[in-house]
Amino acid sequence: MDIKQQIKATLQEAEIYRSQGLITEAHARYQNAVKIINSIENLKNKDSLLKAITEKIKALNITQEKVDKGPTTPELSKKAQDLIKNLFTFSDSKDEETAALEGAVALAKFGQFDRALKELNGLLAKDAIRVEAAKNILRCYMASTSTDEAINQYHQWHSGDLFQPQQLETVRGYLVDILQKRGLEANLPSPLGMAAKAAKTVEPVIDIDAPAETEEEFLDITSIGITFDKGPRKGKMVEFDVNFQSGNTLSLIISKKDNDLIDGLEAGTKLKEVQFFSPIAIFNGAGVVVSKTQIKTGPKQGDFCLDIRIVST
Amino acid sequence: MAIFNLKKREIECKVVYYGPGRCGKTTNLEYIFSSYKKQVKGEMVSINTEGDRTLFFDFLPIGLGQIKGCDVRVQLYTVPGQVKYSSTRKLVLRGVDGIVFVADSLEVRREKNMLSLKDLQANLKEYGKSIFKVPLVMQYNKRDLAEQGIPLMSIEQMEKDLNRQLKVPSFQGSAVSGEGVGATLKECLKLTLQSLQREFKWAQ
Ligand SMILES: Nc1nc2c(ncn2[C@@H]2O[C@H](COP(=O)(O)OP(=O)(O)OP(=O)(O)O)[C@@H](O)[C@H]2O)c(=O)[nH]1
Ligand SMILES: [Mg+2]
Repeated sequence: MDIKQQIKATLQEAEIYRSQGLITEAHARYQNAVKIINSIENLKNKDSLLKAITEKIKALNITQEKVDKGPTTPELSKKAQDLIKNLFTFSDSKDEETAALEGAVALAKFGQFDRALKELNGLLAKDAIRVEAAKNILRCYMASTSTDEAINQYHQWHSGDLFQPQQLETVRGYLVDILQKRGLEANLPSPLGMAAKAAKTVEPVIDIDAPAETEEEFLDITSIGITFDKGPRKGKMVEFDVNFQSGNTLSLIISKKDNDLIDGLEAGTKLKEVQFFSPIAIFNGAGVVVSKTQIKTGPKQGDFCLDIRIVST
Repeated sequence: MAIFNLKKREIECKVVYYGPGRCGKTTNLEYIFSSYKKQVKGEMVSINTEGDRTLFFDFLPIGLGQIKGCDVRVQLYTVPGQVKYSSTRKLVLRGVDGIVFVADSLEVRREKNMLSLKDLQANLKEYGKSIFKVPLVMQYNKRDLAEQGIPLMSIEQMEKDLNRQLKVPSFQGSAVSGEGVGATLKECLKLTLQSLQREFKWAQ
């Protein structure tokens, strides 16, 4: 491509990415254009061109900042909040109190803490759902303001007479438990007449905090493609079905008639180029042969069982 | 999680548009809202953040009229595609009956498509659902950009990346012009209602 055409095409690409909000991608294209332009010795308008692009990049950086900062939990209009209550109440129970509780919890899940707290506080009056309402009030405080606020709230309840001792003890156990999970120790007085029991684990009713990134588990791998770097199939990729997977170790059964395929593979052999096919994505990586055994009995007698560990992806 | 009222013979089910950020989920719903007036049963609600990105969800109620003696209503949702809104995405997915996975055809978004599909699988799993069993349709969006010389992945490539094992129906689309939007939705609704029929035998 003619170099001017190339610059034009690159800039056009950048412009489209920018208009679609693909900021990183637009950024990369603009940088690329700068590189191309700089590589040309005597380009007319070089300076003004570069200046224009620099401006674009600056604007992109500002947009990026705004997106990064974007409010995580804005206060929504009452109408939008009503919709959330409506759409994210799942119980089909006719029980009005439970439905009201679920509605308030839905608001909290979408970060509408002020109204959620107001509604939950109202629900404390209902004996049947008082404990659940209280637990959720505590979670709201933990998520929106602070742990201290939650603890203060408990003390207030403790000195009031809204709760029956058993109810308040349940709430106490719940709060102690979530505090412990955060590595916090709090000395919360038990209600009168209730022996301080060890807090039993209570499942949180709602999970407002962004869940911690769970450790990446291995995807199910259904087959793998091994590219051989020696032997008769050197440079070729051969695909094998995975018969069994345990974590990152894959077991393949290879028919005795394909013996020549795996001739070069022994325990310890490193496989530098492996494609892993999972139901939802293909990724490249490396593996190592853990073991290779010939099956001695049964219908697959004489076939080989090859265990391969995924070492990197 | 479909709601049945067998006495009144009504069904209400939930279809969610899933996919990486900026792939065109909201644009799909906007097109449906403006072009299927007869089916649309209420306002489209969008809760957005900076730069028209979805913050919580888009919501659009539609009605399909009588099908096999039942009044069928569908709630369409989109999830926020931005990676950081993962807990909201999961929340919106709850109780889903059918899914449209919108993939971005731009070459530069290849990996994002795959990650988003993986995210979908993981979230479904947490709700006890399998991506292989849930009614699912793919849309390869933004095909119009090829005309402007923007590098797009070939359909073969996208099929291989995303649909090699799922083998679900897939459609090319251009949500801005509406191309493929109706076909994608129709197929998804078909699969969803079939699946609900197998489960609940609602049709007469
Ligand atoms: N050319 C073209 N642009 C599209 C198409 N579909 C969407 N877009 C553009 O892509 C950008 C993002 O579209 P949205 O519909 O907001 O994307 P989204 O998937 O809802 O994004 P998030 O809410 O951030 O997850 C917008 O600028 C759209 O105009 C298409 O088919 N062709
Ligand atoms: Mg959107």
